[in-house]
Amino acid sequence: MAEIPKIVARRLANAKVGDHPDSNLLGGFVERSLGQRERVQVLEHLSQCAGCREIVSLPATQPSFADALLVAPLNPGWLSWPILRWAAAVACLVIVGTVVTLDRKHEGRQIASATAEDKTVVETHPSASNAFDSKTVSLQAPEEAKTTDAVNRAAKAKAASGADGSAAASSPVEMADARTGSPFVDVPARAKDATPQAQASEIEKGMDRNIPPPAGVADTAITPLISTNLTPRWTLSSDGTLQRSRDAGRTWQTIVVANNTVFRALAANGLDIWVGGTAGALFHSSNAGQRWTQVRPVVNGESLHDDIIGVEFTDIQHGKLTSSTQEIWITADAGQTWQKQ
Amino acid sequence: MPKDSAQSEERFSTGLDSVVSELFQKSRSEEFGLTRERFAGVLQEIARKYLPADAARIEVRELYESLRVEELALARACAGGHEHAWEVFLTRYREKLYDIAGYITKESSAARELADSIYAELYGTATRDGQRASKLASYTGRGSLEGWLRTVMAQEHINRYRRQRRLVSLDEETEEGVQFATAESEPAIAVDPRVEAATDEVLAALPPEDRFVLASYFLDERTLAEIARALGVHESTISRKLDKLAKSLRKQILAALGRRGMSRRQAQEALDVDVRDLRVNIRSQLSQETGPPAFTKKKAEAPADGS
Repeated sequence: MAEIPKIVARRLANAKVGDHPDSNLLGGFVERSLGQRERVQVLEHLSQCAGCREIVSLPATQPSFADALLVAPLNPGWLSWPILRWAAAVACLVIVGTVVTLDRKHEGRQIASATAEDKTVVETHPSASNAFDSKTVSLQAPEEAKTTDAVNRAAKAKAASGADGSAAASSPVEMADARTGSPFVDVPARAKDATPQAQASEIEKGMDRNIPPPAGVADTAITPLISTNLTPRWTLSSDGTLQRSRDAGRTWQTIVVANNTVFRALAANGLDIWVGGTAGALFHSSNAGQRWTQVRPVVNGESLHDDIIGVEFTDIQHGKLTSSTQEIWITADAGQTWQKQ
Repeated sequence: MPKDSAQSEERFSTGLDSVVSELFQKSRSEEFGLTRERFAGVLQEIARKYLPADAARIEVRELYESLRVEELALARACAGGHEHAWEVFLTRYREKLYDIAGYITKESSAARELADSIYAELYGTATRDGQRASKLASYTGRGSLEGWLRTVMAQEHINRYRRQRRLVSLDEETEEGVQFATAESEPAIAVDPRVEAATDEVLAALPPEDRFVLASYFLDERTLAEIARALGVHESTISRKLDKLAKSLRKQILAALGRRGMSRRQAQEALDVDVRDLRVNIRSQLSQETGPPAFTKKKAEAPADGS
């Protein structure tokens, strides 16, 4: 760091100190809650008064406190959050697109090299379509392990619920399977008759054995099968509509939640989705967008009328709304009751 | 009531009934036993404190709307001795008070002492005109109550430290060997008044934020990270700013000296002479070289050791 002429340091140290700002203004300065005029006045004083600089530096430099304040930058420039958000979304799309393209090529090579012996193995292991899904996913590189786990969990959940094929269609994963029309969905009779528990067991066996798919299957059939098993992705368009993608962000489908509502905030937690928008509009879906319920946050008879600009849910129960007037509304029971901060 | 006061009170309340009512609802004042009139009075008191008497209505409105009214009502109710308000306050802030004190003092017994003393002030052990005077009555809702508590505690900690520094015993001084130390004398520097005037001119032209950064870094020896946190910007922003300032200050002072009739060479000499004199205080260095460490420095470390 370059030095400054010593006379500068001396003149800074000898600056005349005016009236000290009170604790409220110093606290407000640290929290950056003062208006521009007052902030400049306080800075003017701080540049002259070592004592007040010391006071301000003590609370201001507490890590947790200061870090929390840093979340909102003072002068958002071109790197402001909305731009970053869209840049991040575009970057994600590019990455996902690249990964999917590479995977397809990889799949094509693997499938072409599969032998007729493999086909026999598959036929001698009549398991549910999900088992094939699992096997297909298990062909992926190790990075795909998470997806495999998700598929496994979905299959287990299906097995545990004892749902049949039609009931299971309510799950986004199951619905996607039904639409693919791939040869893997054509389940052998034994598998169709098997109990859900047995199906789950078969799925696990299939995963353990890492059985490759039958030879000669076109990669076009495999790709949708892989992608449709991914967790749905959610986004809000620039005009405030909710959109969902079931194919890792390649295509987006507009979901109509409510008419004449512009959504500005979204929180997705597995199948649990919350969207908030203009005039306190808040909607919740606990089944990945199949059915929506409007939630009206009320505290002491006062309901939320301002636009919702932020929705955060750390889990299914605990969530936080931020209104355009910077009010914070909190729930700890999935929106049944609310508190204002 | 004096005429000016009555006029400003009118200005801070006329046409703002709906705002005041809305804020009154939002503040949950009723829950803490504050009436609407009392709440409106508190708002006016705050407006008088921060706004000029001839402030426009829009300014008053903006100020009112910027206040943390819920915390303000809580603090004022506590100051008024409302039991439920105290329960809420203690639930929310008791632990935080000790945490903040712990961070500031870096030592558990000092932290407890600081927190207890602040708590006593908040509760209002002292009386004024027969009434309990609580420090919470001075909270005005300009920032969060927690932020205000942090600032109040930092202020109290620094005041204690200064008081402690003044109360060093003679025995301690003897132990430190201060009697052998050469008396510190101000270095005799004959600075050309034009250099001082030029420097003052250049510093005055800087934005207050730049002067704050310079003073924090070069006088207080704060780190880039600390300054960045205080201003809510990134460390690299402060680093770039300091570099730019350091490079431009000398040039600007030389230019200002030129405007005061000095040639380039004279101006450089005037600035360099001053720099040499201040940088190398040979007399002071020689006198301290074989002596004990400076007493003041040791004293400054005392509270951190908990002694």
